[in-house]
Amino acid sequence: MTELPAIQTHRLSKWYGRTEAVRELNLSVARNRITGFLGRNGAGKTTTIKMLLGMMRPTSGEGSVLGKKIDDPSESVAMRREVAYVSEDKRLYGYMTVGQLIRFTASFYPDWQVDVEQTLLKKYELPVSRKVKALSKGMHTKLALLLAFARKPKLLILDEPSGGLDPVGVEELLEGLVSLCAQGTTVFFSSHQIPEVERVADHVCILEHGRLVADVSLDEIRQSYRQINVVFPFEPANFQVKLDGVSKVETRGRQVRLFATGHLEEIVNWARSFEASAIDVTPLGLREVFLKTIQE
Amino acid sequence: MLWYKAWLETRARFLAALGAILLLSSFQVLRGNGEADRHLLSLSWHYEVLHRAHSSLAMLWVLAVSLLMMGGLIREMAVGASDFTLALPVSRAQLMRVRIGMGFLQAITLAVAAWIVMFLLANLGGDARSLENAGWHLLLLVVGGSVFVSWALLVSTLIPGEYTAPAVCLGVVLLVVIVLGDPPLNQWSPSSLLTGNEYLNRRTMMLGGPIPWVRLTATVAMAALMAIGAVKVMQRREF
Repeated sequence: MTELPAIQTHRLSKWYGRTEAVRELNLSVARNRITGFLGRNGAGKTTTIKMLLGMMRPTSGEGSVLGKKIDDPSESVAMRREVAYVSEDKRLYGYMTVGQLIRFTASFYPDWQVDVEQTLLKKYELPVSRKVKALSKGMHTKLALLLAFARKPKLLILDEPSGGLDPVGVEELLEGLVSLCAQGTTVFFSSHQIPEVERVADHVCILEHGRLVADVSLDEIRQSYRQINVVFPFEPANFQVKLDGVSKVETRGRQVRLFATGHLEEIVNWARSFEASAIDVTPLGLREVFLKTIQE
Repeated sequence: MLWYKAWLETRARFLAALGAILLLSSFQVLRGNGEADRHLLSLSWHYEVLHRAHSSLAMLWVLAVSLLMMGGLIREMAVGASDFTLALPVSRAQLMRVRIGMGFLQAITLAVAAWIVMFLLANLGGDARSLENAGWHLLLLVVGGSVFVSWALLVSTLIPGEYTAPAVCLGVVLLVVIVLGDPPLNQWSPSSLLTGNEYLNRRTMMLGGPIPWVRLTATVAMAALMAIGAVKVMQRREF
């Protein structure tokens, strides 16, 4: 029997008045993987995450997280027992001390891992008796991450997790995500920090204007996504490329730049057939893929 | 642990309110004790002192419970902590039940603590030993005042803003007190029920007569309706 995806949505939409924040989103996040959720500001990432967690109601469509329906309040509570979430602004209860907040959070999760809690307390140098409101932004982030990591979730959802962290903190976070995933936790995280996503994610979903515009694995990007620069001896007039695997074409005088998602050999052969004077194939990074995808 | 959170969230406000209420109540009764010599002929002087102190207590109590009931998810949303609460494996109804429970417990504690102190101090300076009288006052304050607790709760779920919500809450309370202050409308006034002036025996200066069960039941029903309304609002709200 195939395992259900950790997150699955079908035509999930959210309207704010006349503005459509999320448009018929069909998302499928596989288990035991790290999936990056990319998009510009206002693309609908946080709205999607909030619908998944039951903080917002979808206008239409449906979805499930770990097999539990997102629009059913009782199933949503059951789902949240197995999901950890770190929100974008990572604000916590300022009136509690670090120790009180840890005890409070731990009480909801029978699988709370005290050893992870103690390790992270030491690693992040969090002062147990200090009031949360007296912590720096970076400390807030570290405390939010500790509370998420120590509960041994089946699914970890993070919204811009590295905000407020210094480079060392970011490094520790990324290592933590990889380590959690290796222990069987599915990680779904939104970020604007593409190099971070590229380093740890197995898969990326890109959202633009509330629509899913790319759903691709990092391996596929590394293996198949290429930029092909072709220089012709003549300036191509009314140049049109209709080839499988070409997602975008830019023409500048005698130079043509093709963005390919596969069929590389066919594309190169096609360029040669036009007696191209130079053909240069370079791999595309996630950053280029992201920018090209949202600019289309 | 939700109770623990609710306690930590309101602890500072509650202790400040308790301190203010005890201070004011003690001051009122001690001042009355000090004036007892001038009222030697009045056997009911200390009961009169207690009733006056109760009227002041009622005003401060309404102010205190209104401020104590501010908070919860809407305030957390304003400071950015609501996402953390809503990601916990608890329903919004459960969060609200704890908040309502803690609010009423604190409201009752404020009233009972104030009356214990007033009763003891009044009996230190004179003779006002009627527990029935004290019970009457407390019953009216707590049961009659439940409508103010629920009203504050409802406002805190409808209106965001650290200052807007208490301002609206207390503004409406003040309006109700003024509009329903004089006869015949005062029979519908929750504030006149709270002070118990209508049930005061002017000779003994004690509350007496049959307990106004119908009025108290109607008040509790209204308070319950507002509390249920607040829970429903919170269940439907998007964050």
